[in-house]
Amino acid sequence: MGQASSLIRTTNLQRTYQMGKNTVQALAGVDLEIERGTFVALVGPSGSGKSTLLNVIGGLDRPSSGEVWVDDLELGRAPDKKLVSFRRDRVGFIFQSFNLLPTNQAWENVALPLMLAGRGRSERRKRAEHLLDQVGLGDRADHRPAELSGGQQQRVAIARALANDPVLILADEPTGNLDSRTGRDVLLLMQRLVREQQVTLLMVTHDMNAASYADRIVHMRDGVIEQIEIVERTAEAVA
Amino acid sequence: MTFGDILRTAWSNLTRRKVRTSLTSLGVTVGIFTIVVMLSLGVGVQRVIQQQFDAIGLENVVVQPRDAERNPYTRYVRPEREVVISPAKIAEWQQRPDIVSVTPIVDVNESISKRLVLPGDATATIAVGVDPGVGINNPFETPPTALAGVLRPTKDGEIVISQRALRRLGLTAEVNNLIGQEVQLVMETPRGESQSFDYTLVGVSSADNNLVALTPNDSIALKAWWFNEPDLLATEGYDYALIRAKDLNVARQLTNELRTQRFRVQSVETVLELASKIFLVINIMLGSVGGLALFVATIGIMNTMIMAIYERTREIGTLKAIGASRGNIRTLFMTEAGMIGFFGGVVGLLGGWGTGRILNRFALAYLEQEQVPIRGDFFYIPPWLIALALGFGLVVGIIAGLYPAARAARLDPIKALRHE
Repeated sequence: MGQASSLIRTTNLQRTYQMGKNTVQALAGVDLEIERGTFVALVGPSGSGKSTLLNVIGGLDRPSSGEVWVDDLELGRAPDKKLVSFRRDRVGFIFQSFNLLPTNQAWENVALPLMLAGRGRSERRKRAEHLLDQVGLGDRADHRPAELSGGQQQRVAIARALANDPVLILADEPTGNLDSRTGRDVLLLMQRLVREQQVTLLMVTHDMNAASYADRIVHMRDGVIEQIEIVERTAEAVA
Repeated sequence: MTFGDILRTAWSNLTRRKVRTSLTSLGVTVGIFTIVVMLSLGVGVQRVIQQQFDAIGLENVVVQPRDAERNPYTRYVRPEREVVISPAKIAEWQQRPDIVSVTPIVDVNESISKRLVLPGDATATIAVGVDPGVGINNPFETPPTALAGVLRPTKDGEIVISQRALRRLGLTAEVNNLIGQEVQLVMETPRGESQSFDYTLVGVSSADNNLVALTPNDSIALKAWWFNEPDLLATEGYDYALIRAKDLNVARQLTNELRTQRFRVQSVETVLELASKIFLVINIMLGSVGGLALFVATIGIMNTMIMAIYERTREIGTLKAIGASRGNIRTLFMTEAGMIGFFGGVVGLLGGWGTGRILNRFALAYLEQEQVPIRGDFFYIPPWLIALALGFGLVVGIIAGLYPAARAARLDPIKALRHE
C-alpha cells in the first residue's frame, strides 16, 4: 500500500460535530496521502475543516468515520493511552500563540516533551541546548518567555516540537501572531528543518504567502480537499 | 514525569502567584495552628499532672480495712472492722516478691486530745495532732522537708516535730541543736485520767502545722491507752497500709486482689485513668475547633485550584497536546494542592510551637508568683503531634485537590487550546 514513503494516509475521513440541534460536518470524506519528509501547507477559508484535519492527524481529535493512518498507527481506533504516547513520542506541535509555559526557562520549555517522557534533567538540558542552537537561540537558554520577542518565542516552540525527534510536526497558523518579517524567518527555519532532518511538516494557514514556502499546498473547502498544488521552485529561490 | 519533575513544576506554578498561594495556605495554617496549640496544651497539662502523680508513685496502693455494716445497735459505737490489717497481714505482704515495701499507718484521730510538753517546764505545752504520714502528698503543695535530723521516726520512742510547733513550745534555738531533746506527749481523757509518753526528738520538719510524727507502734500505743484496749493492734489492726508494688501492673493486679479480700483499696492509677478520660474528651473538643478551621481551609484550597485551572486552561491544553497524560495533569494539580496544604501545616506547626513557648513562659511565671510548686512544659508537642500536623496539612490539600485535579485532567485539549 505504499507505506514505505507515505507517512500520513486518510481514507474517507469524516468528522461531524453536534452544535445544539445542528450537525456540522467539519470533515466530509477526506482522502489524503502525505509522503515522508515533505512540507505540506493546508489552506482554506475558515470553517473549511483544515484545523479539524490537523487535530485528527495529531491524535487530539477522533474521526467520526473513516481511517487515519500515521506511520503504522490507525488513530481512529487506537486507545487513549496510545494516542498520548503517540503525541508525546512521535509528534511535535507548533501553535499560533507559541503556548510556552511562562514560568519555565527557554530550555525547560524545549525539554518539556522529554520531561513528560521521563528523561533525566541533565540529558534534557543537553538536548534542549542543542536544539536552541539549531534555531539560533543558543544564548537564550535561561530566558523566560516574557523576556523573548514573539519570533524568538516561536523559535523556542519549534525547538520544543523537535525535542522528541518526531516523525511529524503539526503547525497551526505558526506565523499568525508574527509580523511579516519574523514570520518569514520562522517559515524559512521550518523549511530548513524539514530538509535537514527529513521530518514531515503539516502547517495550517490561511495566508497564501506562508503556504508558498511549502512543497505541497492542500486546498480545503467545506470539509473536503479541493485541490493539491505542487510548488515548483528552484534551489536558489529558497535560499 | 519523575517525582522530582512534578515537585519542581508544582513549586514553580505555586510561586508565580505568591500572594494567592500564601493566603490560601493561611487557611490551613490557622487550622493546624489551632490544633497544635490546643492539643499541645492538652498533652502538656496531662503530662505535667502525670509527672506530679509519678512523683507520688503510681505503683503505690493504699489499703484500708472495711468497717462492718452498722445496725441500730452499733450505730453509736466505734464500728467493728470486717477485715483487719494485722501485723501478720503486713508481714505476709512484705514477703511477696512483687511488693517493694509495705508501710503500716495509724491514724490517731483529732478527737483524741494530746498535748506536747517539755519535761520540767510547765508552761511549754501545746495541743498537737499526730501526722499519719500517708505517703501521698498533695501535688499542689510543697512537700515538707527535714530541717534537721530525719523526716519520719524510724524507731519506737522517736518523734519528729514541725518547726512551728517547736517555736510555740519556746524552743527557738538553732534546729540542729534541738535533736536529742526529750519531749512528752500527755493525754487526758474526759474522765480525768492522764498519761504521759516520753520521746526523743530525732527530726524537725518544715511542715507548717502542729503535727508530730510517731512510729506506727507508738501511735497504736496512744490509741490503745485512749480506748483502754491494750490489744488494739490485734483486734483492729492498722488504719492504712501503703503498699509499693514493683510496677504498675502489679499495682493494678494487687488492687483487684485486695478488693476481693474485702479491703478498701485506692490507687493513684484509678484517679489518673479518670483524668485521662476527661483529657481525652477535652482534647477531642479542642481538636474539633481546628478541624472546623481545616474544613474551611479545604474549601479555600479547592477554590484556588479551580481558579488556577481556569487561568491555566490553555497551558493544560498545550501540555496534553505535547503528550501529557491525564494522570500527569491530575498528579501535577494534586501535588500543587498538597503543597499548599503542607506548607500551611508547616507554618501552623511552627506558629503553634512558638505560641506554646511564649504561653508556657507566662504560665510558669504565674505559678511562680502564686508559689505553686509545679514546673514543666504545659505546651508539649510530642512527635506524633508533629506528624499529625504535617500529615493533616498534606491530606487537607490533597483532598481539596481531588476534584479540581480531576476536572483539569478531563479537559478536552482542543477546547483547552482555544481557551482565551
